[in-house]
Amino acid sequence: MTQAAFSPADKDRWIKSACKMCLHGCGIRVNVRDGVILKIEGDPDNPNNMGKLCPKGHSGIMRHYDPNRIKTPIRRTNPNRGPGVDPGWEPVSWDEALDIVGRRLKKIRREDPRKLLVAINDFQRIHLWGWGAAFGTGHYFTTTGQFCGAAYHPINGIIDGAFASVNDYEHCNYWIQIGGGDGFSSHLHVAGSIKRMADARVDRGMKLVAVDPRMAAYCAKADEWIPILPGTDRAFILGMVHVMLHELNRYDAQFIKKHTNGPYLIAPGGRLFRCRETQKPMVWDGGDNMAKAYDDPTVGDFALEGRFVVDGAEVTPAFQLIKDALKDHTPERMSGICDVPAGTMRRIALEFVEAARIGSTVMIEGKQYPYRPAAINFYRGAIGHCQGTHDHSAIKLMNMLVGNIDVPGGHLGVGLDHRLLLIEPGPDGMIKPQPHILHPPAPFSCPPQTLQMMEFFPIGLDPAHLVAHNILHPEEWGYDFKPEAALIYHANPLKNINGYHKVLEVFRMLEFIVAIDILPNESTEWADIILPDHSYLESYMMTLCEPPVITGHTLRQPVVEPMYDTRDAHDILTDISHGCGCLDEFNGLLNFTMFLKPEYYLEPGRKHTAQECLDRMAKSIYGPEMGLDWFRQNSNAVRRQKPGEMYMPWDGMRISLYHEYFLQVAGELEEKFRSAGRQWDTSSYHPIPVWNDDHPLHRIPAEYDLYAINFKAEAVINHHENTTIPWINELVSNIPIHKGVLINTRTAREKGISTGDRISIESPFGKVEGLARVIEEIHPRVIGISNAIARWTMHPVERKMNVNFNRLLPASLEFTDLVSGHQETAVKVRISKI
Amino acid sequence: MTGQTVPMADEEFVMGFRKQNVWTKWIALAFFFGKVGSGMFILAVLLNTPLIALAGLAIENVGKGGSLIIHLGRPERFWRAVSRPQSSWISRTVWVMGVFTLIALLYLAMPQGSPAWQFFKVLALIGGVAVAITDGFIMNDSPAIPLWNTPMLPFLFLLYSLLGGTSVFFFLVYGGWVGVTPLIDLETLETVLIIINLMGVAIYLASLANATATARESLRLLLRGQYSTMFYGFVVAIGFILTLALTLFLGASGGALVVGLITLADLIGHFFIFYLLLLVGVYAPVTGKLTI
Amino acid sequence: MARFGMVVDLKRCVGCNACTLACKAENGTPPGIFFTKVLEQLAGQYPIVKKKFIPVLCNHCLNAPCVRVCPSGATRKRDDGMVLVDYDQCIGCKACAVACPYKNRELLPQGKLRQGHFKGHLTPFEKVKYSKFQEGVVIKCTFCCDRVDQGLEPSCVNTCPAEARVFGDLHNPESKVSRLIRQRGGFQPMSEANTDPSVYYLE
Repeated sequence: MTQAAFSPADKDRWIKSACKMCLHGCGIRVNVRDGVILKIEGDPDNPNNMGKLCPKGHSGIMRHYDPNRIKTPIRRTNPNRGPGVDPGWEPVSWDEALDIVGRRLKKIRREDPRKLLVAINDFQRIHLWGWGAAFGTGHYFTTTGQFCGAAYHPINGIIDGAFASVNDYEHCNYWIQIGGGDGFSSHLHVAGSIKRMADARVDRGMKLVAVDPRMAAYCAKADEWIPILPGTDRAFILGMVHVMLHELNRYDAQFIKKHTNGPYLIAPGGRLFRCRETQKPMVWDGGDNMAKAYDDPTVGDFALEGRFVVDGAEVTPAFQLIKDALKDHTPERMSGICDVPAGTMRRIALEFVEAARIGSTVMIEGKQYPYRPAAINFYRGAIGHCQGTHDHSAIKLMNMLVGNIDVPGGHLGVGLDHRLLLIEPGPDGMIKPQPHILHPPAPFSCPPQTLQMMEFFPIGLDPAHLVAHNILHPEEWGYDFKPEAALIYHANPLKNINGYHKVLEVFRMLEFIVAIDILPNESTEWADIILPDHSYLESYMMTLCEPPVITGHTLRQPVVEPMYDTRDAHDILTDISHGCGCLDEFNGLLNFTMFLKPEYYLEPGRKHTAQECLDRMAKSIYGPEMGLDWFRQNSNAVRRQKPGEMYMPWDGMRISLYHEYFLQVAGELEEKFRSAGRQWDTSSYHPIPVWNDDHPLHRIPAEYDLYAINFKAEAVINHHENTTIPWINELVSNIPIHKGVLINTRTAREKGISTGDRISIESPFGKVEGLARVIEEIHPRVIGISNAIARWTMHPVERKMNVNFNRLLPASLEFTDLVSGHQETAVKVRISKI
Repeated sequence: MTGQTVPMADEEFVMGFRKQNVWTKWIALAFFFGKVGSGMFILAVLLNTPLIALAGLAIENVGKGGSLIIHLGRPERFWRAVSRPQSSWISRTVWVMGVFTLIALLYLAMPQGSPAWQFFKVLALIGGVAVAITDGFIMNDSPAIPLWNTPMLPFLFLLYSLLGGTSVFFFLVYGGWVGVTPLIDLETLETVLIIINLMGVAIYLASLANATATARESLRLLLRGQYSTMFYGFVVAIGFILTLALTLFLGASGGALVVGLITLADLIGHFFIFYLLLLVGVYAPVTGKLTI
Repeated sequence: MARFGMVVDLKRCVGCNACTLACKAENGTPPGIFFTKVLEQLAGQYPIVKKKFIPVLCNHCLNAPCVRVCPSGATRKRDDGMVLVDYDQCIGCKACAVACPYKNRELLPQGKLRQGHFKGHLTPFEKVKYSKFQEGVVIKCTFCCDRVDQGLEPSCVNTCPAEARVFGDLHNPESKVSRLIRQRGGFQPMSEANTDPSVYYLE
């Protein structure tokens, strides 16, 4: 393929590109002098990060120049595989390597394509994630969905067509943050978000309340840190909702009446009460004292409360049902669960409703919007649990009660791409639920075809932690095949999937592993062949800058010639597809995943280069003049979102306050299971988020007396992978929270543990050992494990501390959210000094 | 916030006390040779033993000078150290050493008893004292380390210099290596100096007990922290208790072995007190705020 | 004459360490050496705990102890207030490192430049960057004097996502640094050391 031609005359140049040190892709400019990369800076002309760059972005140089990079295709010579076993790599030519891979995969594809496990995690090239579908296998042998949240994206999509969500940096005045690093250390475009958050905090005096078991960076910067037990955030929220509904009686009734299904009448059994003739949902008109269709223009007052009898049926507005369901969720009861004092819940609830300024409006660019400058923001810490759907819904409920969803100052939906594409009218006056933003749903099948059982999660997201169990116990759900090979592309299933011992057993079973990456990792150290990818400073990509605030794409382009005999991973997949006979399917997949317009469709039977595909993608999205050449000239097409894109893009449709949609999905699923003759628990499909005392996490026996959480290493680490970069390694080696297992002083004293002691940490599901680090800033009943101490790869820079949190986690259906597929990401443990 | 202990930060990215870690064994050795050398010289001049004076001078120049050069990151550039005597105590000590050496050599070269010899004898004695205490000013000149930033230090340097010189002489004389006119009773001098030094160290450390939190942290490291074993072992037990016990109960009458033991023990204590004072040099937290 | 200085807004800083690595990249400092870093300070007992992030770097003091104690004249102060080390003159006596109350100087030990970050392998980046250094001399933050001389901001200021670091002329009463110090009551680190740092903090 052609590479960018660099004129030798350009001895000292700055080249614009996009970062790939995490999934978000800030705009960068790279200084290259005499062919050597000397500096990476934020691109000041990119409205996304405005010239800012996080530490990971700067460290890209040392990843690019890592001498341990795979320099040519390599093949293992040592037939023995295992953790820490030297594969004895030997170089092999591209032709030979691709031939070996092609022949092997072709055979599998002919026999049964489901025998191939696919782990593709190149997080910026989302369009390649579905390669397995082109091959004919639907397995998802990696846990991307669990990093951010199976309980996160689908629920956002169901509520308001969003992919993610974040509070309005530019107008919010009272920001509650739970279990997430937005604006401080992680999540959406951290460099730009830190700036927007700092402006809000310091220039506008926004109040920040932080809820987290550990004093993360955002808690340190907050006006108030509220320590909480892991997996109980919903109790904290619902205690406050109780205060709003039953004590203060303050909420945005107008918003609920006009923009949600809160006034819809619910029939016994929980489903919508519909008009017998029109089948339209009914509401109760408080003025005329009668039931009317929801869209009847004569409705004077949508009743939210009360109990009515219509056509002999006892019906209740959805809002009343929610209120009833939370009547017993008193702060006192919730406090016993989450360990936040009831008084704190009452005070925060009051501060929240007052700061929300219910009833106020604001003019933005000539249009009047409701103004609700108080909102709760959250991320994986709050909802990464086996009842994550409820956790998420509870937070959305509290936001919705003050009418802050998608209004200035409030809680804004954020698209993966241009969000307006997903705002569509659904049935019953509602916005259409969009749970499948990453890929289409897998049609029901029993036995399931995918090892992660996607067929059983119609609105969920790939519970990949179930894969290993299902491989080892195929009889449980009737799998009639056994995987024999894996393709691992920029992924690390052995490190990232919980239930390590099961995953390890799967790795031992596999006969053939092909990997695509720039460095070997814990998983690809098991590979038979590794095909080396270009580094991100040598390759092309149309990098998505997902909002908040901004929207658009930035071009990633080579800033130097490839250092080694590497190829673009996209081209490698094209070659593999060609070799194993699924090129047409792959091209067809790309037409869909790269949003290609028909005139730019890839041709069957032809190998298109990555550059060519990206050119077509750019033209399809931005028009024929804005192909790759335009982006080479202009670097990015990132712009501020217009108010109409950010605020109430769904105006005229209602959003879901009462999740009747869940009941509908559950009903269909039950029916399918019934006809398949199997049982499936659908009780989690509950339209109202309530606290459930029967929570698997909290049911773990009391002998496991502490909770264990892990955390992304603030702004320093993305997933697991940056710890082999010497600069990052130096950083984390000097920062206390990344030097050991975090234990509160009081707890450590009780257990006779001091900083530096070797301790064992044991959960019912696994055991790890590590060094203790005694700190003040963590809940005494919680221990914290940083991602920076998790790895054991043979890479010489890695500290190999091997405190892999995932080994402590369960990996079973019992600990899976049966709606979203989210795994439990906290666990209970007991610790002792060794 | 109250009741908060300020941590020792070391290399971690933590706000707290920090130990200096760039002046260690070679500087300690330089100080050691500097004091013992100058002490020997002073005693030798007073006792009129020119050969020992020359030996003291040699220890001063080779021992201290050599240790300092080894300490340098760029030893080949050692001559640049003389550039800035107007503000740098390192420059000054090099100058003082040079001038002292010149004077001392002149003194040794002069015919004994001549007026010039008398004149240079006085100058050489002043030079010897100057050499002994200028090292103290090098440490004293670090306002950032409260432990060192006290006028007690140059004084301690002088005391240890005299004790060091006396100890060596004690050994040389009672070991039968050198004969001197018994102007003074070396045994008594040794005992008195040990007691004076002991009092000097005690007063110095006691004065820190009520000093800044940073100085107290130094004291804590020395008396209760990671260096306390070395302090109590080498400085207190060997340097003071053993030497005092031996001089008081056995003394010169114990023979060459005892005398040698006393001198060795004294020199061990001598080296370690200043070595440890270097190691426990502690800075205040960067912002100067112990708590937030 | 300008006096360059920096204001660090501790309210804005989120402790992300972008500055730490922007500095590593700009200056190419050898393994284990940071010209700037972010310290954390903790106070209190659970659940009433406070934690602050405090970026530190050479304070380029007006009354710099390191300049005073330097025996060779290698450490000098420019007219614009930057305190710099002339590697050709430094003898490595480390008196400056001891004298600095902030401990912002350290010796570049022998062998460090050959070792590099990948232990025995120098990357092309390191080969270029290490050619500026000398082993056996004391090194420290330069306020990115080469960048500043070209009219750019120091690298740490340039990257700071929170815009917690502001660089400018302390002598110009209308510069952003001067205004911030006035309006927000900027304080100098360890003012009791009487070094008159050119770095101010805002709380």
